Formats: sequence, structure tokens, C-alpha cells
Amino acid sequence: MAAPAPAGQPPSTRRSVADWLKILIRYPETGITAVAIVIAIVFEVLNGAFLSSEVPVLLASTAQYGLIAVGEAMLMITGEIDLSAAKIYSTTPFLAFYLTGAGLPWAAAIPLALVGAAGIGWVNGFVTVRLGVPSLIATLGMLFFLNGAILTVSHSQPARTPESFINIFLGSDQQNAGTGITQVAAFLWLVAIALAFAVVLRRTRFGLHTIAVGSNLLAARELGIRTQRTKILNFVIMGVLAGFAGIIESCASGSIDPSAGDNTLTLYAIAAAVIGGTSLFGGSGTVIGALIGAFVVASLNDGLPLVGAQAGFADVPLGIAIVAAMILNIKLTALRVRQI
Amino acid sequence: MSLPADVPKLGDAPELLRAVAVTKNYGPSIVLRGLDMHVGRGEVVALVGDNGAGKSTFIKILSGFHAPTSGTLFWEGREFTLASPTEARAHGIETVYQDLALVNDLTVAQNMFLGREPIKRVLGVLPLTDAKAMRIKTREFLDQVGIRLASVDSLVRDLSGGQRQSIAVARAMQSQPKLLIMDEPLAALGVREGAHVLDLVQEIRRRREVSIILIVHNYAQIFQVCDRINFLFSGEIVLDVATSDITEEELIRMVKSGVGAKAADESVVSAP
Repeated sequence: MAAPAPAGQPPSTRRSVADWLKILIRYPETGITAVAIVIAIVFEVLNGAFLSSEVPVLLASTAQYGLIAVGEAMLMITGEIDLSAAKIYSTTPFLAFYLTGAGLPWAAAIPLALVGAAGIGWVNGFVTVRLGVPSLIATLGMLFFLNGAILTVSHSQPARTPESFINIFLGSDQQNAGTGITQVAAFLWLVAIALAFAVVLRRTRFGLHTIAVGSNLLAARELGIRTQRTKILNFVIMGVLAGFAGIIESCASGSIDPSAGDNTLTLYAIAAAVIGGTSLFGGSGTVIGALIGAFVVASLNDGLPLVGAQAGFADVPLGIAIVAAMILNIKLTALRVRQI
Repeated sequence: MSLPADVPKLGDAPELLRAVAVTKNYGPSIVLRGLDMHVGRGEVVALVGDNGAGKSTFIKILSGFHAPTSGTLFWEGREFTLASPTEARAHGIETVYQDLALVNDLTVAQNMFLGREPIKRVLGVLPLTDAKAMRIKTREFLDQVGIRLASVDSLVRDLSGGQRQSIAVARAMQSQPKLLIMDEPLAALGVREGAHVLDLVQEIRRRREVSIILIVHNYAQIFQVCDRINFLFSGEIVLDVATSDITEEELIRMVKSGVGAKAADESVVSAP
């Protein structure tokens, strides 16, 4: 007893438009992917060396924004946000550094530092979910707390990344000689992690519950989903990803800088998530979109000066892109409702 | 009013649920003041009453969200208590809430299994949800209750009100409950959409396997699909009558004059 599809096929031309629209609604990554390709082409045309010479730099900053953007995207799907991400990013390498200083080998220090990052995320989640503080405020508090703590403890002095760290995540130049892998290793980490979380979001209980919690909290509760735990776990993931991004950066740059995690880093990451198709309304969003969004943000930041724009000008199109992406998101949803 | 030809008579159905002298206070306010009600197996009982009469409170007790202040519940003749929604479900009580508890941003199949997704271990370890099994089983459930839907991969956001209601019912029926509670399933629907949902209720009633408590306001609809009417007024059942023993006009007359007034005499709450 198969259920027949509803009869009545719309005319073929209209249908193809509607189909494209459906694809765009269903897979918000399509829009941002097109934008990313256009940007790459435009920069390549304006400056022939863009793709060939700038790719490593571009991918390195994509990795920085992207790892945090993946965490923010997950969190924004639950309807929350983390403003302290950049501070977790700068705190975690210090944790690893001090643990190494206390005599721990890197193999223990780095995982422990990431556990610390997870702990910071957990506190953010606990304060938000259990104590009912809006995440905007809870993580704003964490931002200043971590900033003050790390500047005080480090006396605002950067530290040299321990030699033992450097090759762990990026591979040594000798190992990778001539392949250029060292420079893009961070990006490869990002791709692997983003793909993993894309699967987690769509194909695991935790992922579906993450969407459910953000889309309809009451329903999720009525169905027996552990909503608080789901949200807190996403704060923890955010913490670990930000911490991991910080450790990778400290490996790439060779120094652990208390001011490395500038707050604009968090904002760029949120921008990447938003232009990638994640809204703060909760329920909808995409991890792959955040990855491509990070590439777009990095392209604007690194690419525009190369084609002769003033430093800082990149924020102009970025600002427009953020709001435009959000408007598109809202309009597509409205359009869909009207179609029924 | 007589039964539709294809709906079997209830006969002496064994009792499924009985509530005896159930009360519920929220602080100083008394919501239920000695509610008595029973539901036979396979029976469809309409629970009617004005807003604030205590319908939602009683339903929340039956679905395990609240404990009664006093009173006793019997399930299949035995006294029982419900400590949580999960426990209510374990007994076979499923509730379709007015908000339907559907997640717009998930597909029909994902909603159908939300909170109890089947898991398939990929490579022996990775616990991924079994999307294929979810799709196939969802299709089966929808067929069983006679719901036609073009794709189980549609986002719930894209469905009509009637389709959403049907999916919520199909999801509740999925665990083969003994008692299905439907909280105002027709409230947000147009006439045609509502008719589809009533058909669905009639279809369930026809099999006489699942009992239903239906909260509904429209008397014509009650007479279409319900075996018995319980009128809740100010925290008590003030009228319990089989739909075969009364006509719609009589019921409306009683509600307008007698029943409400009688209860109002005994109540501190002013009748609306």
C-alpha cells in the first residue's frame, strides 16, 4: 500500500526555478559556495597571483576563523552564541605551556589544556542553561574574565611555543619538505573537523537533538530529549574547538601570545557562520557553510589589500555580506511559507 | 446518535483507566477538586469544558508531567502512579499536545523518531542514526494510519496544519499505545483539514484497540467520533453521558442551562 505522490506537475520551466529554490533552502551551503567561487575568480582576474601565491596564507586564516566558526555554528543552531571564543583560543595554549613548564610532556599537556578549554565551555553552558543567563551575557563575562586572567598571569608577555609542540599538528618542515603541507596543515585539520561535525549534526542523535533544541525547545522537552545537556555539550564543543584553534596557531606562529585572541576573531567566526547560512534563530544552520564562510571572510581580509584596497576596507563588504546573508535567510523562509 | 455502520459497538469493554477523586492544587489555587473519570479499552471519550476548567491539568497528570495532590489512578484495574512522562509512555499513554511537539527544521522521518532514533553502528563503532530504517518505518506508520504524504524527507516546516497533526498522531501511535490523549487537535485547523484528522480518529476507533481521550470544543465533531462525553466544570466531571443516549441539541441545552449552573452552585469559581 504505497502512498501515491500528489498529482499535478507544474510546468517544467517554473518547476526548475522552484527546484533551484528548494535546493537553496535545503542546502544553504550552495549560496555561499557560489559566492566563494565568484570571489576567488574576481581576485584571480584582478591579481593573477592571488590563487597561486596567496593560497597558503588564505587557508591558514580560513583555518583560524573556521575552527571557531564550526563551533559557533553548532552553538547558534541551539539558539546560543559564545562571545568568549577568542579568549578560550588565547588561554588554551597558555594552559598547555604552563603544564609543560610544570614538567608534563606535551602528550599530556595539550590534551589537558583542551580539557581546560572544554571546562571553560562547560562553565559558559552551565551559567547559560542552568542559571538562565542569556549566553550573550554569560560569555561576555567569560570574555573579560579570561582576558584579565591571562594578561595577569602572563604579565602580558608572549611565550615561545615549546619546540615539542610545534610539529605535532602541522608536521615538521623536514617531514613535509617541498610539499607545502606545513602551511596548509591547519586548513586540513579544519576540513576534517568540519566534515566530522557535518556528519554529527545530520546523522547522530546528538546532532538531531541539537537541531531540535534550537528549533523547538518545548517539543524537544516533551519528547524526552535532554535539552540542557545537549546545549551544554555544544558549549563544550565550542570551547574545545576554540582551544584547538589556539594551539594550532601557537604552533604555526611559534609564539604563545596573550593578545593573539583578539575579539574580532570571534566576530569574524560568527560572521563566517552567518554568511554560511546559520541564523541565530536556532534550528537551522550548516557546518560546511561555516567552513566556506570562513574562506570568504579570509578571502576578503587577505585578498582585498592584494588587489589594491586599503587595509581595513575588507570590513565594508563583510559587513554588507553579513546582513545580506541574514536577510536572504529570512526571505527564503518567508518565501517557502508563501509557496504552500 | 447511532454509530457509523463500520464502527464496531464497544460492548462491555474492560476498563483501561480510572481516576478516582483526583485533586490538584497549585499553591493556593485549586484546579481539580475530586475528578472521577474512566475510560474503557478501545473507547473514545470526549473531554469538554471551558478554559480553566482543568482539562490541561488533568492531561498533564495522565502524561506524567504533574503528580496529583490527592486521589488515585487505576490502570487496567490496578492502582498506579506516574512519576515522569517516560513512565507514562512505558505504560502506553501517548499524548499529542496542542503544539504537536514537532520540530520544523527536521524531516518527517526525523520527527517520527525524535528522542528514540534507531542507531546503526558504522564500521562497528560510530553510532550513526539509521536514516534508511527511519524512512522506511515512517512510510509504514503513515500507511497504517492512512496518511498520504509525497515525501517523508520533507521538512515539517513545509507541511500543512492537517498534515502536521496527522504526523503527530502517527508518531504517537508508533509505539502502539493503549491510551492516546489528543489535546485540541482541531483547534488550529480549517474545516477540511479538521475532517481529515477526524477521519484519522475514526480509523483508530474502528479497530477498538486504542482508547482515546479527545479534548475538543465542537459538539458536532464529538458526536461524529466519540463514544462518551465527559463535561469538566471547575475541576470536576459534572456530566458523563454516552453519545448514543443524548442528542447534540440536548447536550447543548444541558450545557447552557443545567450542568453549568449546578456546578456553579457548588463552586466558588464564577461561571464564565
